[in-house]
Amino acid sequence: MSQGLEVRVGETLGMAQRGGSVQSHVRLGEDVYGPLIPDGRSDVVLSLEPAEALRVSRYVGKRTTIITNTSPYLPISVLLKETTYPKIEQITSILHRLGGRVYSIDAMELAKKAGSSRSLNIVVLGAYMSLGEPVLTPDAIKEAMASSLPGRYLGQNIRALKLGMDKMKELIS
Amino acid sequence: MIGEEGAVSLLMGNEAIARGAIEADARLVIGYPGTPSSEVIQTLAPLAKGLGMRAEWAVNEKVAFDTAAGAALAGSRCLVTMKSAGLNVASDSVISIAYGDVNGGLVIYVADDPAAHAGMEEQDSRFFTKVSLLPMIDVSDPQDARDAVVDAFDLSEQFKIPILIRSTSRVAHMRGTVTLGPVRRIRRSAGFVRDIRRFTRASPVWCMEQHARLNEKIESMRSVLEGSRLNELHIPEDHIRVGVVASGVSWNYLREIVTRHDLTGLVTLRIGTVNPLPENLIRALIDEVDRVLVLEELEPYIELHLRAMIGDLGKPVSVYGKHDGTLPRVGEYNDNLVERALGKLLETRLVEESPELEEMRAEASRLAPRRPLPFCPGCPHRATYTAMRQALMELGYGEGDAIITGDIGCTILGMHPPFNMCWTEVSMGASIALACGLRYAGIEKPIIAAIGDSTFFHAGIPPTVNTAWYDTDIVIAVLDNRVTAMTGHQPSPGSGYTATGEETEPIKIEEILEASGIKMVRVVDPYDLKRTKEAFIEALQEKGPSAVVLRRVCSLVARRRGMIGKPSAVDPEKCTGCQLCIRTLSCPAMGLTTDGKMVIDPTTCMGCGVCAQICPFDAVIPGGAEND
Repeated sequence: MSQGLEVRVGETLGMAQRGGSVQSHVRLGEDVYGPLIPDGRSDVVLSLEPAEALRVSRYVGKRTTIITNTSPYLPISVLLKETTYPKIEQITSILHRLGGRVYSIDAMELAKKAGSSRSLNIVVLGAYMSLGEPVLTPDAIKEAMASSLPGRYLGQNIRALKLGMDKMKELIS
Repeated sequence: MIGEEGAVSLLMGNEAIARGAIEADARLVIGYPGTPSSEVIQTLAPLAKGLGMRAEWAVNEKVAFDTAAGAALAGSRCLVTMKSAGLNVASDSVISIAYGDVNGGLVIYVADDPAAHAGMEEQDSRFFTKVSLLPMIDVSDPQDARDAVVDAFDLSEQFKIPILIRSTSRVAHMRGTVTLGPVRRIRRSAGFVRDIRRFTRASPVWCMEQHARLNEKIESMRSVLEGSRLNELHIPEDHIRVGVVASGVSWNYLREIVTRHDLTGLVTLRIGTVNPLPENLIRALIDEVDRVLVLEELEPYIELHLRAMIGDLGKPVSVYGKHDGTLPRVGEYNDNLVERALGKLLETRLVEESPELEEMRAEASRLAPRRPLPFCPGCPHRATYTAMRQALMELGYGEGDAIITGDIGCTILGMHPPFNMCWTEVSMGASIALACGLRYAGIEKPIIAAIGDSTFFHAGIPPTVNTAWYDTDIVIAVLDNRVTAMTGHQPSPGSGYTATGEETEPIKIEEILEASGIKMVRVVDPYDLKRTKEAFIEALQEKGPSAVVLRRVCSLVARRRGMIGKPSAVDPEKCTGCQLCIRTLSCPAMGLTTDGKMVIDPTTCMGCGVCAQICPFDAVIPGGAEND
């Protein structure tokens, strides 16, 4: 916005805490109007749960980089053996065939290392920070966290951001 | 939200509606929660006091509208918010108020839901203009939303008529940049002059006078609305005699695709005022084109008008839209659909067709496991349906032997496995009279109407009175979690506080049930499975109407208030891996270890202790989680 770009964010609200699926489409650019990313035209997919990356496969194409957490959040139907959960290799393979570059990290493990599994999202965001030219800087994210999070949660999230950044640097090199 | 004139802010469509209400100095903003409209009042409630505004959740949309209409008669500017189904509830009064004059601006914001994201009908509320005759503005992005509210208040006062603003889920929940306008101060002292010729419809003569006056108002508004900033006709000098008319979110898709493929020769008309339609602009477009595509979600509203106008003008213009099957009437549009439709219009291929790609995408969606919405961890409704089933089983009724009519809100999630309880979902409050109708028809099974607290206050009281009046043998189960949970935990009359946080005396559902004439009323805490089961057994055995109030605050609200128990834990020595708990409760906090034993995730468990009451081996230790 400060660079005069149009910003559009489209999202499904409120279903995550009920175990539902949630997508947010963040779009920046000069001629950006629609709330959703057009098919196959996403630049980056940040997937907090491996099978959820499949649900956004419509938006994956040759320009897409996908960063996905590898630890699954199993629906009850899987526990009850009513449905099956795909193997991680199946997930990455199909995303790869759709044209995307896939980076898999165990963000759950890193989040726990940072202090809480709840910082999983920040680990994945951190991983994105070490990739090419992210649209945000780590400092901007730290600033946003400092202004929106209660103080007691700030430390673990800053650690999570760093762990994610380090992990991606390791994957790339 | 609070920003200087000229500042650019990133706002959600509904927040932009709220901003518009601040700029227009609305005195009263009132509604009933309903996805995707709820964020307007949620945004304004914490700011209301500082703005000298009254922000309020009403008991239902009709009450909200009537209250606003009253305030508008006395000269206040009022905004009423609701989802599409809410407009149906309010419609009785909206149609009546349309006949009279309003003194303060009265704006109705209604949000439709193409693709049924919130799980309701794909109602196209634009057609309400045909019933009510009222003007309507259809917005396509957050900037429009802000502009429309500011303009609508002025128009409403100028023509003394309520104005409808309509959006859809994608617009209501889209974030985009909004240039803020000035915050005006419009203060008037309240006044209302008796004039029954305008404010009652009790005489046929007056009624027809008012009807004629309403028609005149709409006609006199036509040219003003035609010039709205939300209508844009673009006729390029060297155009190719092909046009596109777009409205709502589709306008965004069109703009992007035009840029992507450099389609500079298209004649385009964006329509923001859907009643009355900008007929001069439409006529100007028809004059320039041989082919035209109409982009509008849901029903062919603009398309029908356009076809009629083309017919009147006797021009051979081909129309691409819903009638010829270019675009669907069901679901929402997206970039891809619009791009294909434009390709058909231009007889060129804009989208590379690739069956392999589509097959891969289909394979990916097949691989993704479905995530049907379960009850949240600690949800009292999970316990209610579990106890309800136990009661039915104890009375000898198996699966399918009792009918449970469901209602709107979280309570309907009892339709999903493993409960498989609710049979129907119709509209707010419908569960109770529907249950009576089933009984009237001769169904002899036990019949239970399962309804939430907010839903009960909204539309459950009249059918309760009717049930008592005709002494109908049904059980009314009011799942009282103290809030309107599904839409984001807005307060209801039983919550004990208002939208703006003032404390109130909670209105007791059991007292309403008793006063309505239901003689057997039990109030229980569903976390206590045994007592809840016993209450259901008593109610089911009662000849005639009975009611059980299941009272326990929503677990998400409890967590926010720090009122939840310590997470439970499983003793792996005692757990036999029978999985009875998972099969009975399906709580998202439950998982399985590699050796098939139940494990509780301490970060999601709310410590409700219900699974401990299910386990036959006492393997669950309530509050047994170790400290981090």
